[in-house]
Amino acid sequence: MSKRRFLSKPDLGPFVLDLIGSGARVIAPVRRLERGRDFIEYRQVRDPNDIVLGGPLPVRPLKEIVFPPTETLFRWRQAKSLIEIEESPTSFEETVIVGATPCDAAALEIVDHVMGWDYKDELWFGRRQATAVLAVACTQCDESCFCTAVGLSPQSTRGADWFLTPSKEGFEIEVLTPKGELLLERHDTRCPEASGSPAARASQVADKVQANLKMQPGKIRSWLERHFEDPLWKDIALRCHGCGACAFSCPACHCFDIMDEPEGMEGGSRRRNWDACQPALFTLHGSGHNPRKDQTARFRQRIMHKFNIYPARFGEVLCSGCGRCIRVCAAGMDLIGILSEIGHRAEEAESAL
Amino acid sequence: MNLYQPHLVCIDQIIEETADTRTLRLSFQNPSIAAEFDFKAGQFGEYSVFGAGECTFCIASPPTRKGYLEASFKVVGKVTRAMRRLNVGDTMGFRGPYGNCFPVEEMKGKNVVFIAGGIGLAPVRCLIWNALDLRDQFNDVTIIYGARSVADLVYKRELDDWGRRSDVRLHQCVDPGGETPDWKGDVCFVPTLVEKVAPSPKDSFAVVCGPPIVITLTLPLLERIGFAPERIYTTLENRMKCGIGKCGRCNVGPVYVCKDGPVFTSAQLKSLPPEY
Amino acid sequence: MQELRDLARKLFQERKIDALLGYECDRRGVRPAFVKAADECDRLIFDQRCVHNLAAYLSPRRSHVVALGRLAVVIKSCDARAVAGLIRENQLKREDVVLIGVRCGGVVLNPDEPGELESRNTAPRCVGCEQREPALADHIVGEPKTAPAGNQDRDARLSEIESMNLDERLGLWVDLLSRCTRCHACRQVCPMCFCERCVADKTLPAWIESSPHSRGNFAWHLTRALHLAGRCVDCGECERACPAEIPLGLLNRKAARIVSARYGYTVTDDPSKPAPIGTYRLDDGQEFME
Repeated sequence: MSKRRFLSKPDLGPFVLDLIGSGARVIAPVRRLERGRDFIEYRQVRDPNDIVLGGPLPVRPLKEIVFPPTETLFRWRQAKSLIEIEESPTSFEETVIVGATPCDAAALEIVDHVMGWDYKDELWFGRRQATAVLAVACTQCDESCFCTAVGLSPQSTRGADWFLTPSKEGFEIEVLTPKGELLLERHDTRCPEASGSPAARASQVADKVQANLKMQPGKIRSWLERHFEDPLWKDIALRCHGCGACAFSCPACHCFDIMDEPEGMEGGSRRRNWDACQPALFTLHGSGHNPRKDQTARFRQRIMHKFNIYPARFGEVLCSGCGRCIRVCAAGMDLIGILSEIGHRAEEAESAL
Repeated sequence: MNLYQPHLVCIDQIIEETADTRTLRLSFQNPSIAAEFDFKAGQFGEYSVFGAGECTFCIASPPTRKGYLEASFKVVGKVTRAMRRLNVGDTMGFRGPYGNCFPVEEMKGKNVVFIAGGIGLAPVRCLIWNALDLRDQFNDVTIIYGARSVADLVYKRELDDWGRRSDVRLHQCVDPGGETPDWKGDVCFVPTLVEKVAPSPKDSFAVVCGPPIVITLTLPLLERIGFAPERIYTTLENRMKCGIGKCGRCNVGPVYVCKDGPVFTSAQLKSLPPEY
Repeated sequence: MQELRDLARKLFQERKIDALLGYECDRRGVRPAFVKAADECDRLIFDQRCVHNLAAYLSPRRSHVVALGRLAVVIKSCDARAVAGLIRENQLKREDVVLIGVRCGGVVLNPDEPGELESRNTAPRCVGCEQREPALADHIVGEPKTAPAGNQDRDARLSEIESMNLDERLGLWVDLLSRCTRCHACRQVCPMCFCERCVADKTLPAWIESSPHSRGNFAWHLTRALHLAGRCVDCGECERACPAEIPLGLLNRKAARIVSARYGYTVTDDPSKPAPIGTYRLDDGQEFME
């Protein structure tokens, strides 16, 4: 159902203002300067001039738009033995992401599997429903990107309602979903039909990404299944601080904690907060027993969950190859290096058979 | 309404089982939820104490008894401590039933051996009453139960009932040093009592719950006696939050205790990595 | 570097250590390295990219590191302050670890930095550092180094904030801390955050709200800054580790300023020098009780 449209560079600003004017919350990559470093992050914009498209990967993942770091599940009020629950809304304000990266957009779809597994998470899907994702093809990458190794690419349209390919004069738009169609209807005049043949999709970026890591997820999976106790885990995990910065920066990680936050004696809220399998507290029993006693076990869990358990359950890895975990790690843990090593060992194991 | 929002339940009754264990009898405040509520033996729920949080317990009452559900708990942490402070008439929350269940249909027409230690009797008790409420659909019912001391035995009234029934074979024990002068049961550990009773594996299922030491010793013992690993059932517990497979916390290798469990066979446990 | 490798090999051959913690090159730059035998010592390097504070790995709660046995650790003079802190606070016995001090003329902030050390990329904490090698060491290796270049006023931002009124300061911190997601990377990489169970992880009671909203984030970061007052060694690892680019060092340096003014104490790599936390003096100020 895709249609080819075009948004010229001069029209990008007015288009964003139209979106804001129509009542939508617009989120886009913007530049921030902090600690002498300038970096990009997804933020709500009111001035289209703040938007940076085609820049480096935003430091925080897009998931926080549909999965906030802290979210109220419900509130309660208490009077003696009586409790009254105040429900949380499951419909949300319209949001348009202008400039999602392909890896971030794809990760949303990857996490949909678990959020819809038998029980439908109304909060996740409510926000997903209210959010239109306009993804932009990547025009740059670095040595930590590996989206091609997990079946995606700098031009992957997965998870996008519109996919924008930059050209000299603006962006060629592919409208991909019914939500995208509805959005187009409202902004038809800004985005006229594209003329001529489709813009050439630059392959240099994809080539560079491929050079970072080649991987066969199926082979990685079988190695992981057979090597739970491998000494490799102990070696890799020595360096790991167990902080979870990787998980918190990951667009696919979705583990969360549920806890109650009383406010005085009269009530409070039950919240869900981002959590990670890396700190010891994650699996600690009330009795004091911890099935994952040290960082070796916990780091192994991270790799197992993403590259063995999730694909076993849902058919694909819990990773979109964005590389944030690599960039953010203070201890130099390198997922590309680890997957590469596992890939070698998987090959060796196969040829030994 | 979202799936993390519990139903409100009222505490109708509190039974002090031991010095640190209680059973709560709860009923749904909303009459239509109360009427519709159903579950299968082995399933669990997330029980809320508003302000303290949620706790995971199996449903300790059988599905054959309508109008209420029960949970038995030991005070271990924040939420259970808060539960102990609650009184009859107070409000809690309940989400569930979640998880898989015991294969009750398969067990019909067969012998069932129930083995439990300490508060491990709670998940087993649900199935025991389920079977006893449909007594003629099951063959022999054997219960082997022990605790650290006489005072630590849970469901004491029910143990008396079961002991008096002619259609139930009950064997009890307490640890050496835990007996009282008038104790009529055995004085030994649960696995020892199992060995002594030597239940026949022919056409039999075994259900085992208790502290890790009881499980670790009893499961291989049953296999030595001749039980097939696929016929030995136990329950696993793990730190849980959502109970529905989304928070990523309770998995043991590829298996989620909240979705693929909490009921597992000994055969399944053998294929799991040592992560529980 | 050869000196370091030769020393490392010798320590293994003389069975003085079971493992050595230093730095190595990887695919992108430099990372911490655990070396377990003499023939692995050629992996070890030391250059301007060795920013990591390896003292963090000496905390006794890292059971999988403790299990390696007797360790040797490569430390810069700033890292040595953390080792001294661990010894002072009874987390480590001096005789249980072999300290290999390296001569250091400054490091870059980013261990993947491809360029040479220059004024523009020197880690802010190196500017003005006067200690080229640690006093706390069993061995010293490396060529003599000069003081790090760079004339940035490290505390320009701090002075700026101190000149703000309270409302402006609150507004600034609400904004800065709004990006915090409570990943606790700041805590995990900090050598002085060695508590078996952090106060923020306690539930009975829950002293600090674990939610990453404003209230929870303030509770966490201010509590951590207070718990580190007089103990933080200013290694900058918390800031480097923060995935949300929050300038956490500002809080710690402010606390250090107060401790210095009040108690005349600055962190040192001399473990025998008593620190304000854990030391009682008869002439300690009592005005807070009046």
